[in-house]
Amino acid sequence: MGQNSGHQERGKKPELALSETMEAEAEVQSNKDEAKELKAKERRLTSVFGVADLKNGAIGLYNLGQSCCLNSLLQVFLMNLHFTGILRRITVPPCAAQRSSNVPYQMLLLLEEMQRGKRKAVRPTELACCLSAHRVELFVQHDAAQLFLRLWNLIKKQMKKLELVEELSDLYTICIQEHLACQNCSFEIKNNSCMLTLPLPVLDSNSHRLKTLEDCLQYFFHPEELTGQNMCFCQQCGMKTPFLKRMKLVYLPQTLTIHLKRFCFEKSSYTHKLSHYLPFPRDLDFSGVLTENQCQADDKEKATWQYGLFAVVAHSGSASCGHYCAYIQSLTECKWYCFNDSQVCQVSWDDVKCTYGHSNLHWGETAYLLIYMKKHPQQPYPGLSECLGKL
Amino acid sequence: MAQWQEVQGLANAYLEQVHQLYAGSELPMAVRQCLAAWIEDQNWRQAAEPLSSHARMLFHSLLVLLSEQLGSLGSTHEDFMLKHNLRKAHRDLQAEFEENPEKFANLVANLLQEEQRILRLGQAGGQGGSSPAPTAPPERGREQQIQRRLAEFHTALQEAERAFRHLEDLQDAFDFCYKVHYQPGQDRIRDPQYARQLQALQAKLQNLDQQRREVLAQMQQLLGRSETLRELLQQELGDWRERQQRSCLGAPVDTNLRPLETWFTGLGQGLFQLRQLLRALSDLRQKVTYERDPLAAETPLLEQRLQEQLTHLLKSAFVVEQQPSTPNPLKRPLVLRTGSKFSARARLLVRLHDRNHRMEATIHIDRDPPTVKGFRRFNILTSSSKTLLAGDSPQEGLVCDFQYLTLKEQKDSRSGKGSKGAGESPLVVTEELHLITFTLAYAYCGLELELKTSTLPFVIISNNNQFSSAWASILWFNMLSSDPKDQHIFSAPPPAPWPHLAEVLSWQFESVAERGLSQNHLLMLAEKLLDSKPSPGSTVAWHKFSKDGTSFSFWAWLDGILGLLQEHLKQLWKDGLILGFVSRKQERKLLKSKRTGTFLIRFSESVLGGVTCTWVEHPESGSPTFHSVDPYTAVELASLALPDIIHDYHIMMEENVPENPLQFLYPDTPRDKAFGPYYSQRQEGNLTEPEKYLRRRLICVSSRQANKSWQTEEELVAATENLETLQLQPGGQGTQWDGGLALPQSQSPGTPQGVAVSPGTLQVVATSPGVLQPGALGTLQSGSQCLEPPQPPQVGSEVSEVVVQVVPNIQDTVQVALRAVGTIQVLPGGVGMLQVGPGDLGTLQVLPGDQGTVAVDTGMLQQVGAGNTEMLHQVGAVDTGMLQKVGTGNTEMLQQGGAVDTGMLQQVGAGNTEMLQPRPGAVEPLQVPEGQGLLPPELRDLELLPRSQDIQELLQSLGPGSGTLETLEVPELMPNLPESLDERPQLEPGLAGAAVLLGHRDPFLPQPEDLALPTVNSLFASTDFPPLHIDASDFQ
Repeated sequence: MGQNSGHQERGKKPELALSETMEAEAEVQSNKDEAKELKAKERRLTSVFGVADLKNGAIGLYNLGQSCCLNSLLQVFLMNLHFTGILRRITVPPCAAQRSSNVPYQMLLLLEEMQRGKRKAVRPTELACCLSAHRVELFVQHDAAQLFLRLWNLIKKQMKKLELVEELSDLYTICIQEHLACQNCSFEIKNNSCMLTLPLPVLDSNSHRLKTLEDCLQYFFHPEELTGQNMCFCQQCGMKTPFLKRMKLVYLPQTLTIHLKRFCFEKSSYTHKLSHYLPFPRDLDFSGVLTENQCQADDKEKATWQYGLFAVVAHSGSASCGHYCAYIQSLTECKWYCFNDSQVCQVSWDDVKCTYGHSNLHWGETAYLLIYMKKHPQQPYPGLSECLGKL
Repeated sequence: MAQWQEVQGLANAYLEQVHQLYAGSELPMAVRQCLAAWIEDQNWRQAAEPLSSHARMLFHSLLVLLSEQLGSLGSTHEDFMLKHNLRKAHRDLQAEFEENPEKFANLVANLLQEEQRILRLGQAGGQGGSSPAPTAPPERGREQQIQRRLAEFHTALQEAERAFRHLEDLQDAFDFCYKVHYQPGQDRIRDPQYARQLQALQAKLQNLDQQRREVLAQMQQLLGRSETLRELLQQELGDWRERQQRSCLGAPVDTNLRPLETWFTGLGQGLFQLRQLLRALSDLRQKVTYERDPLAAETPLLEQRLQEQLTHLLKSAFVVEQQPSTPNPLKRPLVLRTGSKFSARARLLVRLHDRNHRMEATIHIDRDPPTVKGFRRFNILTSSSKTLLAGDSPQEGLVCDFQYLTLKEQKDSRSGKGSKGAGESPLVVTEELHLITFTLAYAYCGLELELKTSTLPFVIISNNNQFSSAWASILWFNMLSSDPKDQHIFSAPPPAPWPHLAEVLSWQFESVAERGLSQNHLLMLAEKLLDSKPSPGSTVAWHKFSKDGTSFSFWAWLDGILGLLQEHLKQLWKDGLILGFVSRKQERKLLKSKRTGTFLIRFSESVLGGVTCTWVEHPESGSPTFHSVDPYTAVELASLALPDIIHDYHIMMEENVPENPLQFLYPDTPRDKAFGPYYSQRQEGNLTEPEKYLRRRLICVSSRQANKSWQTEEELVAATENLETLQLQPGGQGTQWDGGLALPQSQSPGTPQGVAVSPGTLQVVATSPGVLQPGALGTLQSGSQCLEPPQPPQVGSEVSEVVVQVVPNIQDTVQVALRAVGTIQVLPGGVGMLQVGPGDLGTLQVLPGDQGTVAVDTGMLQQVGAGNTEMLHQVGAVDTGMLQKVGTGNTEMLQQGGAVDTGMLQQVGAGNTEMLQPRPGAVEPLQVPEGQGLLPPELRDLELLPRSQDIQELLQSLGPGSGTLETLEVPELMPNLPESLDERPQLEPGLAGAAVLLGHRDPFLPQPEDLALPTVNSLFASTDFPPLHIDASDFQ
């Protein structure tokens, strides 16, 4: 499920210069000094932009026809105060035509409408039209992970202010370093890749079910041997050799999106859904889940890898026909809501747990996207670029 | 209505908020009040949507209803005001919203929503206040949560139904307009009116589409809710199953299915309702459909989801309420015996059924038998199908109750025999697990399902003696298996974690005798099983538990005790009088610091299903000694209850005084206080009616002999109890008796046998040993005399006083008593007698120093023999008349007295040995009769031989005690005397007549290093005491 758009190849930087590390440390130090000031600023920003957000009740979005997927994702975006904080600072396009085709602007309008009216739900018609102008079709059942990427990229592309684009990237982008080591000589290639979601397999290579989300993460970061058909060309050996592929986590964003690959393509074109039980924790500590050599980050960065579950986009039904809804924990009230198109209701953790899945219930709700939120955001968080710069 | 009523019930603070809400509202509270039910029943939110004709309809309905209310109001004073207010409201509303009913709808919708919010706040606040105990068990919390969710689910369902009805209205309206206005054709396309109509039609369609999506979203949400609810119910059911499993093991848990049944039925009902709604929704689609109809796309999904949930719910709702069981005294289910009846019951927790459709349930045994060679196959003989019955009252639920089932083994035609050979199967019969499966063909509202449920695995035995080990398997399985269908568990039985096992064992006791095992009990058991102190991680292997053991396994031992408890000791165990599981070491630790005569009851570790008493004795010097009685088993307890045994138990002591060593129940409860309530009722006789037979009862006696390490205890003894006699005795000799303690005994010579046997007499004897002998002495030959003399000095001044008092009554005796030493000198006469017995010469040598005494002893022994025989004959015959004669005919008595003495004599020997070589671990029952306090009997025996230099030296060497005997004893004796007196009345009944069979075994092992008395032991061991043997044979 396309990481293509999210991937950004960075130039590889084989050695990590000592001086650079020290620089980075110095930077962190200075950051610390600024931290207070920025925090205050941030608070001010919230007070300016987020007043509405703070008293924002949970408002539904009417289904326009197969738009449950879009609705769920919009709710996940709009309930995220960090995102709306960015959204509210966008520049309004000058002319009407531009406005109607500007996704961030339409989203902002929708947000305003949701919060202004005392209605229980609003109709995201304009935004849907705007999206369809960008080839996000209406009346089509989307895949939530795919749609998320498209939406995010559209938003990013249409933001004019550079600092906002950077903030948005910092907010959502995960950075991973891929190590490819030739098994013949010790030639090693390192690739940095950025992704918007962690696409976690729910089955291991032997098609055995992975037991928990932590297992999935472990499996994802597990070294993989590339042999046989998968052999890579080694520059040093001058031939295709078996390689060992390892993934190392470099940077985790404030809002971390995990994509459970529950839709499984088999040899035939037929897609089916894996609805087995896969529990995910409310609190996720990456430094506890991953081993030392699965990370490429300093302790300070790792210390921030404490996540709390913020939202679950759940799918019910089969691969060909289904329904999406979103469970979101309101950041202001710390209560869980279920957004089922126009129906919104407060739920409890038990309801969210129901999306763990069940091997006997093929039509039940299963979590598809998990959105985790950093518990103690380091302010200002060392941006993505800084982390990449260190490599 | 419900909401408005709840609002009115809010606390004042919240009511204030409601008042404020309505103060600024255009809808007067009066209107809200008088049309409450109707207002709450309408879908105002829906109506508030723009372009909805619904709003107008609602608005006008409201006005009409209001007018009706006005009309129906009477003319009383209060009504007058109300009438006025309503009329005003009617006018105002009409003026305000006539043009804009949507606004009104929105207003009402918002008001209702706000009310709800306040209500929630109020209720949350109220709950916080009303439940000051936040530590309420989580169980209850979950129950409440389920109930709340169930209520929410039903409310949401009602809402969805309302939305659905609205949708129907909309669709009807659209359908009508469409049929009327839509006339496709070129000619009218330019007609502006037609265009307008088409536009309106388009708008209606939009509206309809939106409403359809709305209803669908509601249903999606409902399904989401029900999924969570079902998940919670599933957890509850899982917990119940666990509880049931534990209750099968005897745990005291609640296995009531009622709440679960209510919840399952509630949810099932809701889901079936939802199903109907969905069907109706499909019907709507049949009538009107259009491009991108949401119903077309989404209803199949919803139906699938719903179907799946219903199926799942129903499948889990079919449970085995009562596991297969045969009635048995230990209340153990899951062990069935071929050929005997058993019953099992299944229940469908979703109490929904069609009365016109009979649902059949069938049972199968071992539907999918494990592929184990030699696995026995069974047939259920009785009818295997039954109709699911619904009782007339809703409480009874849907139950299929299979009763009077029997199993029969399928005979394998190949082997010819049903029994399986040892090599045929890897599993023994009691480890072979079987299952019964219930199958129900469920049909309701067009939903047809096959529901299945299985019992827990059970063991089928063919003989009752397999019951115990079968139950061990059941324990093991239910304790350890997570999969209730795992029939293979015993091919590789997992070990049990000790804490878990301990709990289960405790349940066994709790279910049998209503008292579980204490920490100390468990500690002892753990040490027995694990050979070490248990840690939380210790495990016990199946073999260790049920198979290993020298003569019997741990479980067999424990189950023996359970059986014993169940049959005989239930009440004692329940009341905590049985310490039960105490190791030898622990037992000593406990008793060491206690008074002499403190005893505890524990289960034997060497005898299957045995219970014994251990008591402590503190000898004058040296470490305390502990004695245990040969364990009683169900056989003995069947004829004599343990409290009575304890009550009547006594031991033959060396100084001729039988006594009950069991005085205080550990830690320090006096025996009769602890066991008093449990003694069986002594029969009160009828004075006027002469009895044909003497009454009798059984008591237990132990005697100590010199040549065995364990004292024997013989239970036999018919102590006759004759009321007439009892009463006659005091009557006839009243004056004499007044004289003192001694009298009863001196009189009782008539019943000397009784003296030995019945504890009452025993104690009397013990209190005033001197007295008995005086009576006996006169007539007695030297034999008995030689014993007694030593006693007066030992008894101390108190007792000698008694003797003095006795004296006036029986002059002869007194003299004898006083001249105890002289009596000894008489002995030579006895020596002549001695010569009669060839073995007796040895005895002479045995006794250190004093030939005379020894000779007397032997002589006496022989007499004893004679006496005993006679006595035995008399036992049956003794009656009142005889008793009176007893007073006169001393000779007989004397002989009988002799009989008593025999025991004593032997004990004397024994006592001596012991004293000379005090062994700390000796098990002999050194009983100190109450009257003598802590006086070690041996000392008396020593003094038996006053002339003996050796002994005196010995005594002195024994320590300070020996030199100051008299003074030492006095204080101890004094306080105890009254006690024994008090006991007398109870005990006396035993006086009348009794026979003793003395134990053959002797607690004392010959000690090679016993230099002082080198041959005593061997001599006694080899000596045959005719009376003893005669007794034994007579009684058997």
